[in-house]
Amino acid sequence: MNTAVRTSGDLDKLASLGSASLYPEKVKILIGSGTCGLAMGARAVEDAALATVKRFKADATVSRIGCIGFCSQEPLLDIVLPGGPRVSFGSMTAAKARAVLTAYFTKGNFGGEKPLGRFSSEEHVSTGEVHSYGSSPAAEGIPEWSKLDFFRLQKKVIMRNCGSIDPMSIEESIARGAYRGAQKALSSMKPASVLDEITASGLRGRGGAYFPTGQKWRFAHNAKGDVKYVVCNADEGAPGSSMDRSVLEGDPHAIIEGMIIGSYAIGANVGYVYVRSEYPLAITTLEHAIAEAEKLGILGDDIFGSGWNFRLSVRRGAGAYVCGEETGLIESIEGHSGEPRGRPPFPVTAGLWGKPTVVNNVKTWASVAPIITRGSQWYASIGSKTTTGTTIFSLEGSVKNPGLVEVPFGITLRDMIYGMGGGIRGDKACKAVQVGGPSIGCVPPSMLDLAIDSQDVPGKSANMGTGGIIVMDSDSCVVDMTRFLLGFFVDESCGRCTPCREGTKQMYAMFNKICEGKANTETIEQLERLSQAMNAASVCGLGTTASGPVTNALRHFRDDIDMHIAGRKCPAGVCEMKKA
Amino acid sequence: MIAETTKEAVPAKKEPVGAVLVCGGGIAGIQASLDLSAAGFYVYLVEESPTIGGNMARLDKTFPTGDCATCIISPKVVACMRDLNIDVITMAEVVKLEGEAGNFRATVKTRPRFVNMDKCTGCGDCIERCPVRNIPRTVFESKPAEELDKKDEAFLTDIIARQQGDPGALMPVLEATNRVYGYLPRGIVEHAASRLSIPLASALKVASFYDKMRFEPVGRHVIQVCNGTSCHSQHSAALISLLEKKLGVSDGGTDKSGRFTLRTVRCLGLCALSPSMRIDDVSFGKVDPDDIDKILEQFS
Ligand SMILES: Cc1cc2nc3c(=O)[nH]c(=O)nc-3n(C[C@H](O)[C@H](O)[C@H](O)COP(=O)(O)O)c2cc1C
Ligand code: FES
Repeated sequence: MNTAVRTSGDLDKLASLGSASLYPEKVKILIGSGTCGLAMGARAVEDAALATVKRFKADATVSRIGCIGFCSQEPLLDIVLPGGPRVSFGSMTAAKARAVLTAYFTKGNFGGEKPLGRFSSEEHVSTGEVHSYGSSPAAEGIPEWSKLDFFRLQKKVIMRNCGSIDPMSIEESIARGAYRGAQKALSSMKPASVLDEITASGLRGRGGAYFPTGQKWRFAHNAKGDVKYVVCNADEGAPGSSMDRSVLEGDPHAIIEGMIIGSYAIGANVGYVYVRSEYPLAITTLEHAIAEAEKLGILGDDIFGSGWNFRLSVRRGAGAYVCGEETGLIESIEGHSGEPRGRPPFPVTAGLWGKPTVVNNVKTWASVAPIITRGSQWYASIGSKTTTGTTIFSLEGSVKNPGLVEVPFGITLRDMIYGMGGGIRGDKACKAVQVGGPSIGCVPPSMLDLAIDSQDVPGKSANMGTGGIIVMDSDSCVVDMTRFLLGFFVDESCGRCTPCREGTKQMYAMFNKICEGKANTETIEQLERLSQAMNAASVCGLGTTASGPVTNALRHFRDDIDMHIAGRKCPAGVCEMKKA
Repeated sequence: MIAETTKEAVPAKKEPVGAVLVCGGGIAGIQASLDLSAAGFYVYLVEESPTIGGNMARLDKTFPTGDCATCIISPKVVACMRDLNIDVITMAEVVKLEGEAGNFRATVKTRPRFVNMDKCTGCGDCIERCPVRNIPRTVFESKPAEELDKKDEAFLTDIIARQQGDPGALMPVLEATNRVYGYLPRGIVEHAASRLSIPLASALKVASFYDKMRFEPVGRHVIQVCNGTSCHSQHSAALISLLEKKLGVSDGGTDKSGRFTLRTVRCLGLCALSPSMRIDDVSFGKVDPDDIDKILEQFS
C-alpha cells in the first residue's frame, strides 16, 4: 500500500490539498447542510446558489458544511469573500439566496440582506493555529461572529470543525488538524503515556455519568485478555438532545481519531460506533468518513507505520432508548434484544462477547485528539476545577434562539438561556427548565444561577446531566411535563425487571390521576415509596433514574402539585381536569 | 469414555410390600413419591435428567387457576429431596425390569455426573468450569415455511454476506431488512433465522424488542412525527392528533389508500426546531399545523 499515510509529512501533503478547497482563492459559498439545515430547506437554497453562480458565470464554488449550532437561523448561507472574511446569512430562502448572491456578483455588496456576522479569523483547535481570513470593504461594519451573544461565551473543542469543513472531505478535516493527535500517539507515545495524558486532562465521560475517562481506559488496559473492544455510544436516545448528531454529521473524523487513540491506549483492535437509526444522515456521513480513512490507511493495518491495527464499523440501532445504556448497547451489538445486564462484571472487564470493552459517548471520543495534540494542561485549563473541558447543550423549548452551544463547565443556566438564548419568547417568565434528558426532570428557576458541573455542591454547582435544556415558560405545566416524561419511561422500559416494568406504569397512572384532578394526598405518599423501591431494586440506570422527574417535581414544584390535588385546578390550564 | 455404574433396586424381602420404583421426576412423579412415602413405602425415584422438577419448573403459570408454577413445585421438590424414605436417582434410566407384580427386580443405569454429590453445596462453580457449557442440547432446526422469491433471495444473500460471519449478524440483518422493506416480511425473517442458525423464536424476540421493527407492511410513505420532550413542549400533541385525523389512522396505522403510514418517534434529533417530523427521509422543522396539507401534497 503506497498510498498509505505514514508520517506527519504525508499528513502535511493532504492538509495542503484540504487547505486548497477549504480556503480557495475564489468565492466560496457554504450551505449549512446538517439535518437541521435540510429540515428548514437548505437544498432549495443550495440549488438557488448553484443557479445564480452559473447565471453570472462567477468564479465560485458551492460547498456543504455541517451544523454550526445556530439552529434558529437555519438555513444558513455563508460567503467566503476572496481574501476577505467569511460572512454568514441566516433564515435563507431560495429567493433571498438569489438576491444576496446577485447583489454580490453584480455590485459587490449584499443588497438589502443583513448578514448575521462575519469571521475574520478562525482557530484550528486541534493544532492551535489561527487562520486569518483578512478583510474586505464589502464586510465593513458586520459584527464579528465571536462577539454575537449566541457565540460569545462558547468554547469549541468537541465541535471544533463542525460548520467549517465539508464533512465528506477527509482532506479538509486534516487541513484543520485532524489525525495529528493519532499520528503523534501511535508513532511517538507509549499506551501508558496516552493513558497518563488523558487522566491528567481530567476528561470525564459525557454520556451522563461523568465517569473519569482515563480511569475507565486504565481498567480496560489492565484487564486480562488479548481481544478488547472500543465502542462509541451514539445512540443519543434521550429526547431533546441532538448534540451527538451534529458532531457525527459535521465532523465524523473527530470521533474516528479519538477511537484510534483510545484503541491504542487500551489495546483494542476492533471498534464499533452504535448510531441510532433516527440519524440517517449521520450514518451516511460516518460510513463515508470511515471508508475515506481506510483508503488512506488511517484505519486498517499498520496505521501510520506504527504496526498498530484498528478496524471500525458502524452498527445501527432500531429505536430503543435502553440501548443507550452501555450493557444494553453491548447486547444489541451482539445481536440480541437490548436488555441491560446486571453488574458486576463491568464492561471494562467483561463487555462485548465477554471481552474487556470501553464504551464512551460521542462527545467524549471527540474530545480526545486535542488533548493529545495540545496537552492535558491546555485541556485542564478549560472548564471548572472539578470538571474540565467543554460540553454541548441543546437550547430549546421556549427560548428565543434555540440551537447547540458548546460551553466550558462552570457556566450557569442563566448564561445560556438569557445570555446565548436571548431569553424567553414573548418575554414570559421562566416556569422551569427540563434538563438532563428524561431522568432528571424539571428544575426550578432558583437553580438558574448554579454552575453546571459533574458534582452537586448545594448553592454552588449542580450536575445537570447531559442533553437538552428545554425552557418552559409560564404557560407550561410541570405536572404535565412530568407525566409526559413518565410516559416515555413506560414506553422505553425493556420489561426485564419488575420494579421498572411495573413501577413506571404505576407512577404514570398516579401522575395521570394528579393531572386529571383525581388524586389525593395518599397518592404523594405512594409516589414517594414507589420511587424509593424502584431506585433501590431496578437492574439498570433506566429504572433507577425513572423516578428522577417525580422526585424533582415533589421537591421543587410541590405547590403546583398541591394545586392540582387540593384545588383540582391546573394553574397553567394545560391539564384537563376530569369530573371526580 | 463413559463410566457405567449400575444400581440395583432390590426390595429387601420377596413379599408384596416394601419399596416402590417411580419412573420420572416431574410433578406427577414427585407427588406420587411423596404420597407413597407418606403411606409408608420406601421409594426409588428414577429421573433421566440431572434434576427432578421436570417441565413444570419451567412454567410461569398453571392453567386454569393461574397459580404460580414455581410456588407449587418448589416445596415439593425440597420435600422430596429431604424425605428419608425417598431415594432420588437422577441422570439414570431403568434398563431392565424382571419379576412379577409385587416382586420386581429393576436394573437402573446411572450416567456420570462428574460432580461428587456428597460434597456438592450448590455453589455453581462447576457451571462456570463446565467444558460443554453453551452447547445447546437440542439443535433447533427452524425450517422456513416457503421459499423466497428471486428478489428477496438476492437481498438476503447479499445482506448476510456483508456480515462476514459476524456473530452478532442477526441485528444488522433484521435492521437492514426493516429499513429497505419498511417492515419485516415473515419469509425473510424465517430464512434469516435459519441461515444464521438462530431459533426463529429468538429472531422474533429480537425483532419485537425494537420499536422501529414492525411486522405489518407500510404505505408508500412513512411519516415519523416527533413525540420527544422538546417537541412536546412545543405542542407536538396537537400536530399528532391533526395528522391522525387527516389520515384517519392512529400511531402505527396506514391510511386506506395505502399512501401514508403514521408513526410517532421519540426524538428525531431536530430538537431546536421543534415540533418536527420526517416523511421518508425528508425532514421538516418548526412545523406549523397550518402547513400540513402543503407538506403532505409533496408525497403522492
Ligand atoms: C437508560 C440509559 C440511557 C443511556 N443513554 C445514553 C445515550 O443515549 N448516550 C450515551 O452516550 N450514554 C448513554 N447512557 C450512559 C451509558 O450507559 C454510558 O455510561 C456511557 O455511554 C459511557 O460513556 P462516557 O463515559 O463517555 O459517558 C445511558 C445510560 C442509561 C442508564
Ligand atoms: S424532541 Fe423532537 S426532535 Fe428531539
